[in-house]
Amino acid sequence: MSQDTKSPSLWTNLREMPSNAWHSLFRNPLPADDLGRASTSFTNFFLHIHPVKVHMNTLRPLYTLGLGLISFFLFLILTLTGVLLMFYYVPSTSQAYDRMLDLRGTVAFGIFLRNMHRWAAHGMVGVVALHMCRVFLTGSYKKPREFNWVIGVVLFLLTLFSSFTGYLLPWDQLAFWAITVGTSIAGYAPVFGKEIKFLLLGDATVGQEALLRFYVLHVAVLPLVLTLFVAIHFWRIRKDGGLSRPAEADAPAPAAVKAVEPKQNKTYGLQGFVRGPFSKVGNVPDNTVFSWPNLIIAEVFVLVLTIACILLLSMVFDAPLEEPVNVMHPPNPAKAPWYFLGLQEMVSYSAFWGGVGIPTMFVLLLLAAPYLDRRPAGVGKWFARERLLANTIFITLVVVNVVFVIVGTFFRGPNWEFISPWK
Amino acid sequence: MAADPKGGHAHAPAGASGVNRRSLLGWLSGFGLLGSAVLSAFSNLIFIKPRATYGQPQRFSLGKPEEFPPGTRISMDTRRVCVVREGNKIAAISTTCTHLGCIVGVSDTGFACPCHGSRFDQDGNVTGGPAPKPLPWFKVTLAPNGEIEIDKDSEVDPGSYLTV
Repeated sequence: MSQDTKSPSLWTNLREMPSNAWHSLFRNPLPADDLGRASTSFTNFFLHIHPVKVHMNTLRPLYTLGLGLISFFLFLILTLTGVLLMFYYVPSTSQAYDRMLDLRGTVAFGIFLRNMHRWAAHGMVGVVALHMCRVFLTGSYKKPREFNWVIGVVLFLLTLFSSFTGYLLPWDQLAFWAITVGTSIAGYAPVFGKEIKFLLLGDATVGQEALLRFYVLHVAVLPLVLTLFVAIHFWRIRKDGGLSRPAEADAPAPAAVKAVEPKQNKTYGLQGFVRGPFSKVGNVPDNTVFSWPNLIIAEVFVLVLTIACILLLSMVFDAPLEEPVNVMHPPNPAKAPWYFLGLQEMVSYSAFWGGVGIPTMFVLLLLAAPYLDRRPAGVGKWFARERLLANTIFITLVVVNVVFVIVGTFFRGPNWEFISPWK
Repeated sequence: MAADPKGGHAHAPAGASGVNRRSLLGWLSGFGLLGSAVLSAFSNLIFIKPRATYGQPQRFSLGKPEEFPPGTRISMDTRRVCVVREGNKIAAISTTCTHLGCIVGVSDTGFACPCHGSRFDQDGNVTGGPAPKPLPWFKVTLAPNGEIEIDKDSEVDPGSYLTV
């Protein structure tokens, strides 16, 4: 008895230290049974964002295309490469461009990190837009996921703004004139347009103040806000019952479930009657599988694929760097970042309607979509027949936007005149 | 408090409007907190709006009127302004395109923007392209030391000249 309660000797403690430290760090060994799989998900800080069990429909690659995950992983890549680039960057008009050249010439892996940051940024804008298309075309914004759609639209706008603020930082001709044009578009907003432009630039024109402001927004304010909204977005996925799925995916209990006939001679407790005479355990089809390893493997696969794509792009293509800023000589034509070229194309027809009126209506329409379209039919299916009208409207708007971006990018030459890109 | 519903509510004299002391205080403190939040958000806006800009001054002098002989139209790209002298009248027209902020160049017929093809006449009125507004004219004054001074913060009606 006294032998059992005696504390182990120092020698024993030292000898067992590695294994004790290991087991205090990882509470569960690699799971071998369902109980272990469940506790792996909910006792690990990084894994407990997952449900213990996940619906099989969620794991269909062709349903989600992994677009939300890819957006998130691109955001992670952007955060990591961005923090690394901050070690060498100086937000000053006299130094910023030289630092870009240093990244090319002297910093180890400098150009590679800049390439990764640039291509991941463009990729994130594109993938977030595609993710939005996926959610709309599968009707996943419907009750009870209305508000998560609204958060998603906000995340899309934050992504655009993050990319836009980053555009100025290299302080080359492309950066300077893209931001000059972009902030001028903001200046067309009614009532507060001029104020918004002045607050953004901190001055009447793009200069040192604008560079500092865009830097602070880009490296501190926007990533923080984005992180907060991403957290809410993920949290609500869980609280809204996981990813959307068609009603058929949750098959009702088959008629074969037998009611237990109350027996005459048996005494029943009150609870026996409250719960009802049905025995559901084992009789209802279970369409869920354990997150560990099914969901985790899918996620790791998407992560590796995303990183591989960005690495490959960064090895093959260099991020553009033009001449240093020359305030006197705008390039002809001066173009905004590609995702704003649709806007710029519309601005060339009508400054107010193209730059502010139509984009504002488009965003408001996106935000209001789940509250305008309340029919519950067609959720969880791509291009559901019941959603023909909504999908047609959405696809039309997307195609119009894409056409404007393509025209602005490839078909506009000097003086914004129509040119053919094949000449 | 909440655990004793009799004490809290039964003795409170419920007015005709149904407002009792607790809900009134609740509303007032909620309103106060919200008001403070709005005020602090507003003061942040005031904070990030610079009172002084560190870039190019909006108000600057350009030398004696004699440096601009009659009939000259000199575009000063660094200042983004074009000084026009006709006879003994001097004016300053902005060379920042009202479309998307590029610098317009002086052309035979007035001004032309290289970015998106906006064209303006001699007085800055739009004659073509996407520009929505004419080029603004800035206030020109004669400083005590005899130099002409341009204030880009105050726009004047087109056709307002300074007579020297």
